[in-house]
Amino acid sequence: MRNNSLYLIIKRMRTPMYVLIATFSISILGMVLIPGMDDKGNPYHLSFFDAFYFVSYMATTIGFGESPYDFTYPQKLWVGFCIYLTVIGWLYAIGSIITLVQDKVLAAQIALAQFQRKIKKMDEPFIIFVGYNSMTKAIIDRLTNEGIHSVVIEKEEEKIKMLALENYTIEVPALVGDIRDPNVFRTAGIHKHNCRAVVSLFNDDVMNLHVALSAKLMNKHVTVIVEATEDEYAQNLKTIGADIVENPFKIVAKRIYLSLKSPSLLMLEQWIYGDPLVLRKKDKLPKEGKYIVCGYGRMGTALEVGLKRAGIDYIFIEASPKKAAKAKRGEKVIVGDADDKKILLKADVQEASCIIAATKDDLLNLSIIMAAKRINPDIYTVARENRINDAIVFKAARIDRVITIETLMVKKTYNIIARPLVDRFIRLMMYRGEEWAKKVVSMLKECIGNNPETFETLIDEDHAFALVNHLRESGEEIPYETLYRRRDDYKKRNRLLILYVRRGEEEILLPDDSFPIKIGDEVLMAGSKEVFEDVEYIMENINELCYVLSGKECQLSFVGKYMFGDGR
Amino acid sequence: MNLEKVISGFFIILALTLNFGFFYGDPTVLEQHNRYELFAAIVVNLIATIYKLGDKTHLGAVLLATSLVADIQLIAAASVWALGEYVTGLSTEMVTAIISLSGGALLANIVSVVLFTGDVLKSKR
Repeated sequence: MRNNSLYLIIKRMRTPMYVLIATFSISILGMVLIPGMDDKGNPYHLSFFDAFYFVSYMATTIGFGESPYDFTYPQKLWVGFCIYLTVIGWLYAIGSIITLVQDKVLAAQIALAQFQRKIKKMDEPFIIFVGYNSMTKAIIDRLTNEGIHSVVIEKEEEKIKMLALENYTIEVPALVGDIRDPNVFRTAGIHKHNCRAVVSLFNDDVMNLHVALSAKLMNKHVTVIVEATEDEYAQNLKTIGADIVENPFKIVAKRIYLSLKSPSLLMLEQWIYGDPLVLRKKDKLPKEGKYIVCGYGRMGTALEVGLKRAGIDYIFIEASPKKAAKAKRGEKVIVGDADDKKILLKADVQEASCIIAATKDDLLNLSIIMAAKRINPDIYTVARENRINDAIVFKAARIDRVITIETLMVKKTYNIIARPLVDRFIRLMMYRGEEWAKKVVSMLKECIGNNPETFETLIDEDHAFALVNHLRESGEEIPYETLYRRRDDYKKRNRLLILYVRRGEEEILLPDDSFPIKIGDEVLMAGSKEVFEDVEYIMENINELCYVLSGKECQLSFVGKYMFGDGR
Repeated sequence: MNLEKVISGFFIILALTLNFGFFYGDPTVLEQHNRYELFAAIVVNLIATIYKLGDKTHLGAVLLATSLVADIQLIAAASVWALGEYVTGLSTEMVTAIISLSGGALLANIVSVVLFTGDVLKSKR
C-alpha cells in the first residue's frame, strides 16, 4: 500500500491505546467489585454502566462528582488510586497524539501523500523540472502563463517553501527529494503517459547526466532536456538517448559568429528568442582588429571555435595554468589575471578592438571590463553575466554587450517545450545562410513590421474544425493562401507570413501561396495577435471559412448535410 | 519463538474463549450469562484489535476487520444491556438481543482465529 502516513500514525498510537484500555478496564472493574452504600444505608454494587460513566469523566479530568451515591471509604481509596492511574494514562495518550501531529516524519509523509494525490489527479500534459533555481523558476513562470503544467523536484526544503510563496496561476506540485533516488522520479509521475518532458539545467554536468540516464531508463518516451557544457558529457548524453542537449556557450559562440558574418540570421534568431527584428548597437561587433578573450574555460573554448570560423584574430588570457595548458598548439594563451593591467598590456589591449570577459565570476568580469576601458576607452566590451541577479551592476557598467547565460537557457528551454516548431525553424534556417535570411527579414518587415509575433498551430479537429471537415467532405484542395485572406474583404491580404510547415517527415520553409493544406500539418506563422485571431476564425468557423473561400455567404456541402440530413 | 506472536495469539484466542463463555447458556435467561465475562470479553477484544492495527499485509487487514466486527457487536450487546436495565426494563426480547449480538461477535472471533491459525500453519516453521 502506498499511503504510509496512516500506518505510521496507527503504529505509534498502539502503545497509548494499550495504556488507555488497561487503565480504564482496571478502574472500571475495581469500581464494580468494591461495595458501596446507597442513601438509605443499603449496600450495593455499581453496575458496569455506572462504573464506566464515572471512570470516563474521572479519567478525562472532567469530574462531575460521585455518582450515583456518595462513595464509601473503601471506594474513595480505590478512586484515589484510579485518579492517578487513569489521568496519567489519558494525558500520556493525548500527549502522544500531539507529538505525532508535530512530528517531522509524519509531516513529510503527509506532504508526500498530498503530492502523490496531485500527480495522480493530473490529466493534462506536464513537465518535470529537476532542481528549483532562478532559471527553472523563470521557465515555470512562462509555462504557467501558457497553461502548461509543471512539477518540481528539489533537494532543499527551503527552496520548496520559496516556491510555495510564488503565486502561480496553475498549481505547481513540488517534491522534496534527492534525484539520486530512483523512487523520487516515480513519485513525480515520470511513468505517466502525460509526462511530456524532464528538464535538468544543473551547472553540474555529472548531475545532468545522472538525471537524463534515470529518466530515460524509467520512461523512454519522455523527452529529456538537459544542459551540458562539456563535450564529453554532451557525447555521453546523446548516446544514452537524451533528446535535447543544450550548451549555452555554443549558442553564445554562434551568436558572436553570426553578428560578425551574417547579421540577418542573427536578427532572425534573436527575434525568435523574443527580441525585436532590428539590429541594435550591441549586435554590431567590430569586424576587424584583435579580440581579447578573458577566460579559457567552457565559454572561452566555445568562443574560440566561433571566432576562428569568422576569421578573427584573437588572444586568450587565462588565470589557471592548468586550463591554459589544455589549449591546442598554436593558440595564443597568456597565463595571468585578466584584470591585471600588466597582463592586459601584454595582450595589447590598447590596440585591440574588442574585449570579451568570459569568466564564471561576475565581479571579475566587471573589473576586467573596467580595467580594459581605462587603458583603451574605445574598445568594444562584451561581458558574461552568470547570475540574473547581477543585472543592475552590469547595466550600470555601460558594457556594450552583456551575455546573460541564464536568460539564454530560459528562452531556449521555453521554446523547446512550448514552441517546438520555432526551435526547429531556427535550426533549419541556419542551413539556409545569410542570403535567404536577408530575404526573410525583408519579407517580415515589409509584410508585418519590426516586431512580429509568432504563432504555432496544428491542422486537426481541435484547432481547425471547419477546415478539416471541409477538406474531408469536399475533397478539394485548399491552398495556404486561404489563411492570408481577410475576414472583412477576402480579396485583401492579411499581414501574415507562414514561415514553416511540418508534414510528418517533410519540412517546408516559407511555403508558396498555392501549397495545399493537408490534415495533420503543423504550421508556424508570423504576424500580430489580431491576425492570428482571424486565422483561427477561418480555420474553426464554417461561415468564415465559407466566406473567404467563395467571397459570399454560402453553404458548403457538409453544412447542408448537418442541417438537412443527407446533403439534399 | 516470536514473543509478539505469543502475545497476539494469546489475546486473539482469549477473546474467542471469553466470548464463547459469555454466549454459552440459555439465550432467554440472563442469569446464565455472566456480566463480568462480557466486560472481560470487551476489554480483551479491544486489546486484540489494537494488536492487529498497523499491519500492512492483506491478511492483517482482514484480521482487523473481523476484530472490529466483534468489538462493535460486543459493545452493542453491552449497550443494549445498559439500556434494558436503566431505561426500558429487561424483557426476554432484550435478553435474547444481548445474547445473539454476542453470538455474532463469537462468529467473527472464530473467523479471526481460523485466519490466524491458517497464517501460522502457512509459515512452516
